[in-house]
Amino acid sequence: MNIVILNGNPDPKQKDPDRYINALGADLSAKGHSFQSFQLRDMEIRQCSGCWSCWIKTPGLCAQRDDMPLIYKAVMAADLVIFSSPVIMGFMSALLKRANERFIPLIHPYIALVEGECHHRGRYDRYPGIGILLHRGPDTDDEDIAIITDTYRRVAINFRTALRCAFTTDRPISEVSHAIADL
Amino acid sequence: MRLLICNGSPRGKGSNTALLLKHFTDGFSAYSENSFETAYLMRTKEHAAIAEKARRAQAVIIAFPLYADSMPGIVKEFIETLGAPPPKGRAKKQREFPPMGFIVQSGFPEAVHSRCVERYLEKLARRLNARYIGTVIKGGVEGIQDRPAYFNRRLFMAFRSLGRHFGVTKEFHPITMKKLAGLERFSAVSKFFFRLLATAGLFDSGWNKILKQNGAYERRFDRPYQP
Repeated sequence: MNIVILNGNPDPKQKDPDRYINALGADLSAKGHSFQSFQLRDMEIRQCSGCWSCWIKTPGLCAQRDDMPLIYKAVMAADLVIFSSPVIMGFMSALLKRANERFIPLIHPYIALVEGECHHRGRYDRYPGIGILLHRGPDTDDEDIAIITDTYRRVAINFRTALRCAFTTDRPISEVSHAIADL
Repeated sequence: MRLLICNGSPRGKGSNTALLLKHFTDGFSAYSENSFETAYLMRTKEHAAIAEKARRAQAVIIAFPLYADSMPGIVKEFIETLGAPPPKGRAKKQREFPPMGFIVQSGFPEAVHSRCVERYLEKLARRLNARYIGTVIKGGVEGIQDRPAYFNRRLFMAFRSLGRHFGVTKEFHPITMKKLAGLERFSAVSKFFFRLLATAGLFDSGWNKILKQNGAYERRFDRPYQP
């Protein structure tokens, strides 16, 4: 399996989430999976400006000139994309959220009924599954985790795929790695 | 009442969010003792100053478009500033936040798309120890600036009425909120009509018109990142 992880930890002084992701990557690679991690804080990722160039001017291509095309290529070639972030103020980091919004060039502006709701049509025939990996903060509770998980279940529908897994980093790495490999 | 409005749209002053807020504040300002200030969260460098203004206001409204099923990144960045400890050298004890309300608008017609972020916002107010005024949800907003005026008349009237009521009570009127939220999900009948109209290509035609204007119609199904 080809796994891409977007590491949305904004703080280089917070070592634990990065260590966890590195160890998880090593474990999955040892199992024979391909694993690529993007350290978002070291990349230039601008806020989506809502200009819709990617839908109405240059279909499929974002107007911003930054590092997102590296992520687009990796994501479209992946089987599973894991959005990973420390939980800050009850949600994914702003850094991860910013990258997440920039996924709209990968879908189409046309609207279709999906599960009885309006959603955008796919641009590509095939999309990777989505996973989330959350690192609890001192004020994180189960309600926060549930809100994020439910939100990403919807993000997955809009990305014309499904939320395949949701983990927190308090689970042992071997267990998470095993669960991912079993998908 | 001194109200701080935070416009969380990455499109800023020309946004649909700004247009809805204009009608809200028109209603709000019907009472001469009311005053408001609008802060634009797309100016991320000003977040600390805006957060300080939020603490000093008598009510705060944060309004934004739904981005990837939640708040835009700039709004999340601002929320992180709201939760940050006081800067070094300042007193440990910070001023409490005033009551907070939220307005979430989206392009999708159904309210169901905004329910997750509504849960988040209710929790956010609790987290900040601020009274939660509520979250106004309005779908079907995309494209309102291209519509003839009569099409938006009732929408703008509802926002003015929402603002007027808020200006007196510091509450969102529940009936106006319900009216604005409109349809929660499509009924079986609306799904049937949606499919009928979709088959006729009615929903794609708006996009096609703009794509053609931009000379991009032939490329509309391009897949530049196909592996």
